[in-house]
Amino acid sequence: MLDALRFEWTRISTLRSTYWLTGMGLLVTTGVAVLLGVAARNEPLDAEILTMALNGGASFGLPFLAVFMAIIGIFACGHEYRHGTIQPTLTSLPQRSRLILAKLIVVVAATLVVTFASMAINTLVVYIVWGEAPGLFEDPIATALIGYALYTLIYVLVGFGLGLLFRGVPSALVVIFLMPLIIESIIFGLAFVPALDWLVPVVKFLPFTAGARLMELNPAPFPPGSPDFDLFSRWTSGGIFALFAALILTAAWILFKKRDA
Amino acid sequence: MITAKGLYKRYRKTVAVDHLSFDVRPGVVTGFLGPNGSGKSTTMRLMLGLDHGEGETLFDGKRFGTIRRPMNEVGALLEAKPFHPTRSARNHLRMLAAGNRIPDSRVDEVMEFVGLGDVKRKKPKGYSLGMAQRLGLAQALLGDPQTLLLDEPTNGLDPHGIHWMRDVLKTLASEGRTIFVSSHLLSEMQLMADELVVIGRGTMIFNGDVDTFVREFTQSQVVVRGPDTGSLAETLKAEGADVATEADALVVSGLEIGKVGHLAFTAGVELHELSTRRASLEEAFMSATGASEQFVAKEPVRAADTAAPEGKAL
Ligand SMILES: Nc1ncnc2c1ncn2[C@@H]1O[C@H](COP(=O)(O)OP(=O)(O)OP(=O)(O)O)[C@@H](O)[C@H]1O
Ligand SMILES: [Mg+2]
Repeated sequence: MLDALRFEWTRISTLRSTYWLTGMGLLVTTGVAVLLGVAARNEPLDAEILTMALNGGASFGLPFLAVFMAIIGIFACGHEYRHGTIQPTLTSLPQRSRLILAKLIVVVAATLVVTFASMAINTLVVYIVWGEAPGLFEDPIATALIGYALYTLIYVLVGFGLGLLFRGVPSALVVIFLMPLIIESIIFGLAFVPALDWLVPVVKFLPFTAGARLMELNPAPFPPGSPDFDLFSRWTSGGIFALFAALILTAAWILFKKRDA
Repeated sequence: MITAKGLYKRYRKTVAVDHLSFDVRPGVVTGFLGPNGSGKSTTMRLMLGLDHGEGETLFDGKRFGTIRRPMNEVGALLEAKPFHPTRSARNHLRMLAAGNRIPDSRVDEVMEFVGLGDVKRKKPKGYSLGMAQRLGLAQALLGDPQTLLLDEPTNGLDPHGIHWMRDVLKTLASEGRTIFVSSHLLSEMQLMADELVVIGRGTMIFNGDVDTFVREFTQSQVVVRGPDTGSLAETLKAEGADVATEADALVVSGLEIGKVGHLAFTAGVELHELSTRRASLEEAFMSATGASEQFVAKEPVRAADTAAPEGKAL
C-alpha cells in the first residue's frame, strides 16, 4: 500500500495542473474574504458574514474551493484514461483496488489540507480587517465550518468517482457542473410551479442541494408562499450527499475491476 | 520463463486470441510474429492482466497480478506509448519507479542507457516516434527485470535504431533473461530471434526455432525454361507436381530439381534453364499466415511478382 501511495503522490505532485488548481482555489476563496472585508469593514462582524468569509462564499452558493478540488479529483483517474497512462500504471501497480484506494487517500488528504489552509488564510484576513472573529469555535459557526469541510470533501469524492466511472475528463466535468448548477436548480425552480408540485418532495433528495445544507449557519428561510420542502436536518441531508458519492464510487470501482484497462 | 496456457479473448463478435498456449524460455530472444490484427497486442495485454479473458500466464511461476513490485521482475513495453503531456519523461519514469521502490538514480541510469540522457527533462510529447520507443524501453528496463515483454519495439526506429535494439535484446537474452518480442516482420525476427511463436487470427501457426520455421514454410521451386515445355508440364503434373506458367517459364513446386531434369531428359525436351528458386522469408510468412490474414487489401499492390532475394526487407 505504501508503494501505491508513493506512486500516487509522485503522480499528483509532478502535474502542473495540481498546483494551479490548488492555487486558483485558494486565490478565489481568499479573494472572497478580502472583498467581504472591503465591503463590510465598517459594519460589525456578524455570524453570517464571518461564516461566508471563512468558507470563501461557499455558503452563498458558490463553493469555489470544492469545484477546483473536484477537478483534481476528476483528474486522479480521468487523466489516466484521457492520456492512456492507465496501462503503464497497471504494469507498475497491478492490484487495482490498491491503486484506487491509494488515489482516494491522496485526493482526500490533499482536499482536507487545502480546505483547512484556505480557512486559516481567511481567518487571517478576518483578523486583519476586523481584528476579531467572534464565536469562531462555538456553535453555530464551528458546526457550519465543519459542515463546509465535509461538503468540500464529498464534492471531491463525487468528482473522483465520476472520473473513474466515465474513464475520462470532459464527460465527468460536464456532469459535475451541470448537475448542481443546471439540473438541480431547474428541478428546484419548477417545484414552485403549482402544476408541478409533485416535485416538491423530490427536492430534499437532490444530492448537491442536500449537501449544501451541511454548511448552512441557520436553516435558510424560504420566501413566504414557498412550498413546504420539508428538508432534512443538516446531518441527514449531508448523509444523502454522502450516499450519492458512495453510490458513484462503488459503481465506478466495481466496473474498474471488471473492465479491460 | 513464461508459461502461457489457454489464452482466450473475445471482443463482442471477434475472437482476438483463441486458446493460445506457449512457453518462452530464458536465455534466448523469442519472437512473437503475426500479421496486423492477428492478436499479438491483445495477447500481451492478457498476459499482463490488463485485459480480462480466459487462460493463465505465469512469469517464473507467478501470475503478474500477484507479483509484489512487478517492474523488478517483468518489464513491459506496450503498443501504445502513453504519457501525460505536461509531465517530463524523467518524472514519468520516476512515477512508475515510485510504485516499485526503484530509486531515482536508476531512472537517470536507464535514460542514459537508451540515449535519452540529454532530453530527460523534456516532455515526451515532443519526442519523435523513435525517441518515444526508446523511452518505452527505458520504462521496461527500469526494474532491471528478468523478463521482458515488448510489443513491436522497433516500430518507428531507423535502421541504426533497429540495429541498436537488436543488440540490446540479444545482450539481455545472453545474460539469461527471458525476452518476448512481437513484430509483424519475419525478416526482422530472423535477425533478432532464436525462437518463434507465430499466430494468425489469434490461433497458433507455429512454435519452434526460426530455422525450422523458415525451412517448413519456405518451399523451394524449380524454374524450367525451354522452347517447347508444354508436354513436359503434363508429365510433371502426372508426377504430382504443381506447375505454374510464368511468362515463358514453368515454375514447378513439389519436385526436386534432379527429378525434373531427369524427366525432361527422358522425355527428350530441350531446356534452356533449369534452376531452383527459394521463396523469400516474407513469402514464407505470407504463406504461413496468409490464409489467416484478416485485413487483406482488396487490390494488393504487386511490388514484385517474382521472389525477392532473401532478407531484403528492413
Ligand atoms: N479494444 C478492442 N475492442 C474491440 N476489438 C479489439 C480491441 N482490441 C483489439 N481488437 C481486435 O482484436 C484483434 C486483434 O488485435 P491486436 O491489436 O491484438 O492485433 P495485433 O496483432 O497487435 O495487430 P498489429 O500488428 O496491427 O499491432 C483485431 O481484430 C482487433 O480489431
Ligand atoms: Mg499490435
